[in-house]
Amino acid sequence: MNSLVVLAFGALAILVGYGVYARRINTSVISPDDKKATPAKMYMDGVDFTPANRNVLFGYQFKSIAALGPILGPIVAVQYGWLPALLWIVFGTFFIGWVQDYASIMMGVREEGQSFGALSYRLISPRSRSILITFIYFYLVLIMGAFGVQVGFNLFTNPAVPLGVIIVMLVGLLAGQMTYKWKVDILITTLVTVVLAFLGIWLGTTEAVRNFFMGLYGTTGGAASPVWFLAVTKARFLGTLLLLVICYLGAVLPIWRWAQPINYVAFWIVSLGILGGLVGLLIWRPGMGDFPAFTSFNVAGLGPLWPILFVTIACGAISGWHSLVSSSGTARQLERESDGLYVGGGSMFLEMFFAIVSFLTATAAFGGLQGYVDAGGGAAAGTVFSKGLATFMNKWGLDPVFGQAYGAVFLTLMALTIMYLVVRFMRVASAEALGDRIPALRNQHVGTIIALLLTLVLIWLVPFLQIWVVFGAANQLMASLALLLVTLWLMSKGKSYQWTLWPMIFMFVTTIAALGWKVYESFVKNLGNAAAIAEKQKYTVGQVTLANILIGSICVILIIAAFVLMFDSIKAFQKYRQKAVPAATD
Amino acid sequence: MPAADIISSIRNRGRQAAIALGQILYGMTIYEAVRDLQKERNSIHRLFILVVFGDVLGVPILPPYYTLRLLPYVIGDLEGWRRSMLRERDFTDLCDQEIT
Repeated sequence: MNSLVVLAFGALAILVGYGVYARRINTSVISPDDKKATPAKMYMDGVDFTPANRNVLFGYQFKSIAALGPILGPIVAVQYGWLPALLWIVFGTFFIGWVQDYASIMMGVREEGQSFGALSYRLISPRSRSILITFIYFYLVLIMGAFGVQVGFNLFTNPAVPLGVIIVMLVGLLAGQMTYKWKVDILITTLVTVVLAFLGIWLGTTEAVRNFFMGLYGTTGGAASPVWFLAVTKARFLGTLLLLVICYLGAVLPIWRWAQPINYVAFWIVSLGILGGLVGLLIWRPGMGDFPAFTSFNVAGLGPLWPILFVTIACGAISGWHSLVSSSGTARQLERESDGLYVGGGSMFLEMFFAIVSFLTATAAFGGLQGYVDAGGGAAAGTVFSKGLATFMNKWGLDPVFGQAYGAVFLTLMALTIMYLVVRFMRVASAEALGDRIPALRNQHVGTIIALLLTLVLIWLVPFLQIWVVFGAANQLMASLALLLVTLWLMSKGKSYQWTLWPMIFMFVTTIAALGWKVYESFVKNLGNAAAIAEKQKYTVGQVTLANILIGSICVILIIAAFVLMFDSIKAFQKYRQKAVPAATD
Repeated sequence: MPAADIISSIRNRGRQAAIALGQILYGMTIYEAVRDLQKERNSIHRLFILVVFGDVLGVPILPPYYTLRLLPYVIGDLEGWRRSMLRERDFTDLCDQEIT
């Protein structure tokens, strides 16, 4: 199939999904009323509540939800063939993705800007808040592990990447200094820092620099980097170390000094990369060659198509992360109720389009399945993306060596800008939850180091595909819990709730099945075969055993937390239904 | 419709689209930084009111003489401040403070 047809299919889905289905739900169920004061206006305090223009908020929402999920997810999922992956990206967004984002915003707006924790306490049960906290913490650990493997093991081990990333970080610090200390105009700051960042990425691709890193990694002359311990080579060890240092600094330094200006410079690198890739794609208009529409129901390393495909694509179709951002961030800045659909639904549909472009880097950039496998396949999704993007950008003349380094730096920055904020979150969360019992956790360095050690364990022990599927499952399960909360809220208000109930049931069953599969795979299939797996994947038996116990245990914890939450929710569901019946007969 | 009106309508739409695009770009880039600065300023302001008018929430304060001298300047913010201080916060609120 030609890539233009795929893009047109995505555009059609947006037209019908946003223009017809979403608008209908918006007017007939939520019925936004601009005469009602939103929490942003009613409680405006300049700290938590601040009204913002709808276009500004759209940009903010999209920036907050678009991370590595919509990029890596489709690249991993095409192992089942391009058709199931594409269908889930489009129909997942159409029926579920936008519903969750939009409904989370509107629930927050109508409930005076209350966060998920407070709402679950009130709508489900008091203990549901604590369960949600546990759940979110594990979910964040999985984000760190999944992103960390790609960055530390695949992207930083490319000798053309580390210097580019380090220079972009330094340029980001310069941007902060210019903006906040030297009070330089933002346009000049942008121009200077973006040009310097480009120069830095180019410098990273020069032979001298690449030779230096190859020498450092022990890969000079095409040699394989020596294995130091477990499956960690010297290159991977140094890559992980660099990742941890960046995350540590991002978590402990003031946000204006590190995270904010670096994210600003990274935004330009990322958005110019997307634009460059899209232009190349439109000029080239490649087909998918012999890339099969469907490969197999059971893909080695992933598992069966149902439920695994539905959690693998992650944020490209639906994401629990979005509900957290929507309810506690966006809902408190919405100026008018009628902006909710544009901001929440619109940005999710745009993210779907983003996922489709990423899907095309895997399916169309390499001329077929073999090209995709040679580029790294699902296990090295980050490398596939950077090579695919470089191929697209080469169509308008960009040097492929620079293009590939650019794609890898782009992806690394996207991951890092989320990762150090996640570590920040984990640090504050552990201090809040356990600070009274363990005072040491109140120290920001202790909380950060604990979060990074957990990340390190996952990166060093567990293979990428295994973490990615569990991360996807936790992410989608979080989404189904958000839909559950929204359903209960709609019931409590006597509104139609079928449009959130069925997506919630589908996502809950699918994600529990995916986690259940991973528990079976870890504890039964893999542990029993640890020696054979270790030999095949060149791991040690101890590593395979530990990795499977770790991943299996995390899955068990998530399943238990989800079931307890569901048990309490069914009781709440019955309560609201009983209340709704007399009202309906009246 | 005369050609001049059509051109003017297209121009208007183009201008509106450019403004919207600029606002979206602002939302993706600088808005968060501006919001963080506002948050910091307002947090300091909130702390200031707490130090001066903390007795509204039962917190011991400065001698009332100074409080009364300052009252006219903060009277407009007092209600919002009280609501903001007493608002329940939990773990999920951190998403907004630490991540977005």
